[in-house]
Amino acid sequence: MQNTRRNALKFIGGAAAGAVFTPAPWRLITDTALWSENWPGVPRPPRGEISARFTNCSICPAGCGVRARCVGGQPVSLAGVAGHPLSRGGLCAFGVAGHHLPYCPGRLTEGPVEEAAGAIARAAANCNPANAASPLAVCSPGETIAVLDLRPGRTASWTYRRAMGAVKNGLYLTAAEAFSGAAVDLAKARTVVSLGAPVLDGWGTPGNVLAARANFRLIQVEAIESRTASLADLWLRIRPGSASTLVLGIAAAMKKGSVTGAAAATGLTERQITDLADELTQHGPALVLPGYDCPEAWALNQLTGGWGETVVARQEAPVPEHWKNCAPVTRLESAPDGSIRTLIIDESAPGDYIPWNAIRRKLVADNPVVIAFAWSPGGYRRHSLFTLPTAVFPETLEDIPAATDSPAAVFRLAVPLVAAPAGVVNPPEFVAKAVGIDASNALRERADAIQKAGRGVLIAYADGRYTPAGQVRPDDFWKALNQGACWMDSEGRRTAPPAADFAAGDAPPADDARLPLVAVLAETAAATAPPSPLMSKLHRESNLRLGRSRAALHPGTARACGAGDGGRAVLETSLGKCEIEVVVDSSVPPGVVQVAAAPEVIDICGASARARVAPL
Amino acid sequence: MISEKKPGKICRYGMAIDIDKCTGCGACVIACAVENNVPPGNEGATDLTGITWLRVFKVDNGEEYPARQAVYFPMMCQQCGVETPCYLVCPQQAVDVDPATGVVGQMPERCLGCRYCMAACPYHSRYFNWWDPKWPAGMEKTLNPDVAPRMRGVVEKCNYCHGRWHAARQRAAEAGLRDIIPGDYAPACVEACPAGAIQFGDLNDPSSAPAKAAKDPESFRLLVKLGTEPKVYYHSKREWARRIGDPSQAPAPKEPARG
Amino acid sequence: MNFWGKIPILAGVLASLCVGWIGFPRVIYSSRPQPVAFSHPVHAQKAGMLCVDCHAPRPDGTYAGVPPLSRCAGCHTTNLGPSAAEKTFIAEYVKPKREPQWAVYARQPENVWFSHTPHIRIAKLQCEECHGDQASSGQPRPYQEDRISGYSRDIWGYEAVGGAVPGMKMDDCIACHRREGLAHSCLDCHK
Repeated sequence: MQNTRRNALKFIGGAAAGAVFTPAPWRLITDTALWSENWPGVPRPPRGEISARFTNCSICPAGCGVRARCVGGQPVSLAGVAGHPLSRGGLCAFGVAGHHLPYCPGRLTEGPVEEAAGAIARAAANCNPANAASPLAVCSPGETIAVLDLRPGRTASWTYRRAMGAVKNGLYLTAAEAFSGAAVDLAKARTVVSLGAPVLDGWGTPGNVLAARANFRLIQVEAIESRTASLADLWLRIRPGSASTLVLGIAAAMKKGSVTGAAAATGLTERQITDLADELTQHGPALVLPGYDCPEAWALNQLTGGWGETVVARQEAPVPEHWKNCAPVTRLESAPDGSIRTLIIDESAPGDYIPWNAIRRKLVADNPVVIAFAWSPGGYRRHSLFTLPTAVFPETLEDIPAATDSPAAVFRLAVPLVAAPAGVVNPPEFVAKAVGIDASNALRERADAIQKAGRGVLIAYADGRYTPAGQVRPDDFWKALNQGACWMDSEGRRTAPPAADFAAGDAPPADDARLPLVAVLAETAAATAPPSPLMSKLHRESNLRLGRSRAALHPGTARACGAGDGGRAVLETSLGKCEIEVVVDSSVPPGVVQVAAAPEVIDICGASARARVAPL
Repeated sequence: MISEKKPGKICRYGMAIDIDKCTGCGACVIACAVENNVPPGNEGATDLTGITWLRVFKVDNGEEYPARQAVYFPMMCQQCGVETPCYLVCPQQAVDVDPATGVVGQMPERCLGCRYCMAACPYHSRYFNWWDPKWPAGMEKTLNPDVAPRMRGVVEKCNYCHGRWHAARQRAAEAGLRDIIPGDYAPACVEACPAGAIQFGDLNDPSSAPAKAAKDPESFRLLVKLGTEPKVYYHSKREWARRIGDPSQAPAPKEPARG
Repeated sequence: MNFWGKIPILAGVLASLCVGWIGFPRVIYSSRPQPVAFSHPVHAQKAGMLCVDCHAPRPDGTYAGVPPLSRCAGCHTTNLGPSAAEKTFIAEYVKPKREPQWAVYARQPENVWFSHTPHIRIAKLQCEECHGDQASSGQPRPYQEDRISGYSRDIWGYEAVGGAVPGMKMDDCIACHRREGLAHSCLDCHK
């Protein structure tokens, strides 16, 4: 046979025909299809034994009970604890994805531990410049070292107070708190007037609020159409920043005084204000809830007849006696300006974000040392000299203070479901150790003190059993708390809280031609801590929430500013500027810029500020 | 693939959603994403290109203050029971209607990404994976082993938490039963809602919440005139809210969709 | 075309058949032995163990499949027999507490949901019906993995000591379900 092209082609033709009768081509088709299914980069979920573990969520002070579905010990989904007396099985959007927090991008895992410890120790030591190794953080006479606790009421808060008490010039600071020593009993309320509090959008314990919702008429008094305003039984729209004036107007109306000034300032009619006062006094038991820009409204409850009924005294859970020899609680506002040399801010368990300028004025003018404990960037890390990384839910072992709407004292632990990375510190233990106190057993000591007091009941989540605390042995009490449980104080006789001052609030910001708009904070829930990246489903992949670094304007206002929907712009107030993305929303009142409560925005806006928006 | 008739109980799973109770908190949206391994939005994702198997909309009555009212409206696949549009148009038979449960199942492994089903779906409940799914480092440990993650280029949608359905079937088999124990199976959104606004059940069972909602004159469904027989019944005491389901009567939104 | 003209065609057909039936299977599969020379007959017949003694359901109902090292170490803390394989196993895995990286023949794609429970509790299937008579087979077969798709050759089914072992592809599952009159929908088995 010759080697011709014809023969070669015949060979190939024969081979092709023969190949059809072999498994090769058919298998290659199948295999290619299977290969295309195993796309690189698509993760394979880990396998393991499925179990349920229980804890309490520490993302916000509600401290809702959590049942974690775990695969091989790793939580893969979180849900509420059905039948929980406070959270009623509810868990908010942040809590449902809480198990993602340890893996948030940018999570802090290392920091200057030794320098920070040294700075605290030097500031706390008897100030003697000759002895100090470096002039950094040495206090002059009259200067103080202070701890700013953003979530007071925890066992950690007691540790800070003990640490500052052990030091000659130590101060323990918290932000203004309308509710200290008092709590709200929502179940008793029949009329609730909220002056901007996000009652249906993160206030108190959401499960508790929703369970009580059908029992009360909700009147929301607010400048913008917040989620609560859109769902309330009645929404009264007032001018931004006029809530404090309205408080005085309502108080005047209750005493049959003049409401003309309040009507003029808020934009409500006189009739609306007197009707509001009547509802509070006649359709009780009534409850007045202050918003973030009018904390003094709390005192109105003394005039409605709700004092002692819907607003009740609440003590803390028992505390070991020897702890009480400690620094007193000082309000940040009462600390003298320019007096703090070293400030320690515990941002690991955050509450409301305090604007930085309110803190800065209390620090000494030259080279103050600010040490922040945080688990994520943003927040006070932008202003601190040292930032030390901490653990985050669900890595932490910490207690959660009782929520605003829990009339009884409670004690519950967030227990570690996953291990924290090496290199994180425990803030209260760190500060205590730097001043020479060992607080590593504080939670156990607290639990023992509570069990010893013999009051109240222990509620275990795994089996739903209620056991009187006096009948449980101390070891079993501690073990139960660590396996997911809650101690609740007994229902005592309801008493009225200590009297509240009727301090006048701030006047609305004066008109300013250069800053024609008023900035109002929207979406205040969980402002400081970054949530799971899945939250993009709520503000970027849908329009349900206003995301951070976004601001909403009425279409007319947007046109007047020259900003378009989706455009980048600069938000400027008298305190500074920051970049935002503009969203056009016709539900925003004209003349108002609605901003999401992120730290950089609160720093420049505070409670309510004059602002302008200019396109970039 | 056309499913064949099966022995055992025939269910028609549906939902009853009370939009007067929904506060728009979004816990259901996040619980759905956690249960079904939906990745966090890519950097370029918008409300038109993101993936939200369950999504909550804010709908208002078109009035100005003080007559203005709003409701929050959770929307997921309506599990069309008759002439299911996505099932009819799929060239790959990647959509399957289970005669035993009524659930319209999406098979991303068969999907070739033509998005015909997205065009056919009258409820915009189908979502396309424009990007590779990406979780931040370490977060893959938190994925749910009961649901397979999807690659880019395929369509996905709500399947009434088939992972939980599988788990319920396994629990029933352990007890020696062929049919799911009633009450043992509920999707993640139903369990997560703090207000209890979303209820789940078998429409063939007269005592279930969806079956009762089907008979309630204050309940409504979306786009009933299309004849798709959706199995999600919404309920509201307010008349203007009940008109949301009929586009010829519902107020138009003032702002167009963003993205 | 006469006979001589057909020879190249026939040669092509023959070459292709040889490559396709003999060469292709050798090339498409990579082969590796299991990490431990485990013997089912020794455990099943000599030691009298049952399948469920090692391949047991977990308390939550899922199947552990290949047992973890702790199951083996429960008995094999010291040599129980004379074989060299056991000595190697104890030295390399039990003592240093290292999990053997077993190759699983029946591995299914990620989107497949299979639960042993209904097949064992309701259908009352025996292990041998799907997995073959492991008790009489010798050492585990070498793991032959398809280089392109990544799955084991065994999912196609094979002849073994003790009879035919059925395949584990979707068609094989559906064939049995149809025989039993249990029709199906996609979500029955897919996740």
